[in-house]
Amino acid sequence: MQRDRVLDIVGTLARLGLAAVWLISGGLKALDPDQTYVAVRAYDVLPPDGVGVVATLLPWVEIALGVLLLTGVGTRLVAGLSAGLLAVFVAGVVQAWARGLSIDCGCFGGGGAVAPGETAYLEELLRDTGFIALAAWLIVRPRTLFALDSRLNHDLPAGTGRRS
Amino acid sequence: MGGASRNEKRRRQDAAAQRLAAAGIQVPPKKGPNRTTMIVAAVLAVVVVVGLAVWFVRGSAGTSVAPTYTASASGAVVTVGSGPVVVDVYEDYLCPICERFEERYGADLTTALNANQITVRYHSIAILDNRTTPEGYSTRAANAALCSVDAGIFPAYHEKLFDSQPAEGSAGLTDDELVAFGTELDAQGDFASCVTGATNAKAVTAETDKATSDSALQTDGRFGTPTVAIGGKKIDINNSDWLQDAIGG
Repeated sequence: MQRDRVLDIVGTLARLGLAAVWLISGGLKALDPDQTYVAVRAYDVLPPDGVGVVATLLPWVEIALGVLLLTGVGTRLVAGLSAGLLAVFVAGVVQAWARGLSIDCGCFGGGGAVAPGETAYLEELLRDTGFIALAAWLIVRPRTLFALDSRLNHDLPAGTGRRS
Repeated sequence: MGGASRNEKRRRQDAAAQRLAAAGIQVPPKKGPNRTTMIVAAVLAVVVVVGLAVWFVRGSAGTSVAPTYTASASGAVVTVGSGPVVVDVYEDYLCPICERFEERYGADLTTALNANQITVRYHSIAILDNRTTPEGYSTRAANAALCSVDAGIFPAYHEKLFDSQPAEGSAGLTDDELVAFGTELDAQGDFASCVTGATNAKAVTAETDKATSDSALQTDGRFGTPTVAIGGKKIDINNSDWLQDAIGG
């Protein structure tokens, strides 16, 4: 059981780490909605109304994912949704890089156009890859400590629910 | 977890299920979405619905109000209205946050101008000339906006430039497009040659130099657009009551 314990702890750290990522990134975006609009617009993918909708919703969706992860509700599902959203971010950054736009990803607030020499696409993609790795761990092995999942689901097969 | 241990676990689970069955205990099969799935779906649905509601409310607040005030230009400063509270607005026509500022507060400013509560001095600033290829859209747009004052169409032209704002990093709008906007809005006089001749470019540069070196307009030693000042003092436009406060106080 020693090995399970270690894996539980690693999973818990992954869950709380990813929760922190969403809460911080969503919080910073929610605090500055105009900057968020500018950041979304700078990707030059969506029409103006689409930019408005995404810029309005994105911060709160990120915060919701963060809260769900923090409390450990539906960990595997939320990790899957997180990985999906991160994949969309990666696609956005890749298309900006490929098209030669010079923008800041606005991942943690900020965002918008930057001077051509000031882009950081590689760093942004590596960072997102790291976050996807956290999500991937939780998809493969969602059992963690201090998660509401263990209280909510008594009918899960052994290994994913509460240890009795 | 390796494939071998996974198989081992599965085998043990099957064995356990068989023992339960042998003892006459039936484990009910899982059915339907479980509770956590429902909670996750509900949380996300609430967020999306509330977010969309906020977006619609904010969008409808930005409906345009027809301006009834007049405009006059001096150098690169356009003065509109004649109310007692003087609001200095520093904008670059390529600046995306300036576009946001106009989207959010444009109608409020027009309403206050129509009610003769404020005077607005629009300072035509070009700090983002190097953000288009070829360079210089900020100056060209500022010049065209100043031309639109003499052409008698400033409020509408100013709004049009922000509604049609090109992206940073793009080529910007061409002079032909800038002229066409004026024609669309029924510009009087020789608007086209004012735009293509860069009549006000020097004034824009001078105004930009003046604004960027004015320490009263800086935050952390830097000047940026949009900047709004009342009585020569920069104010915080993230406080959404700034205009009401200025009129009331």
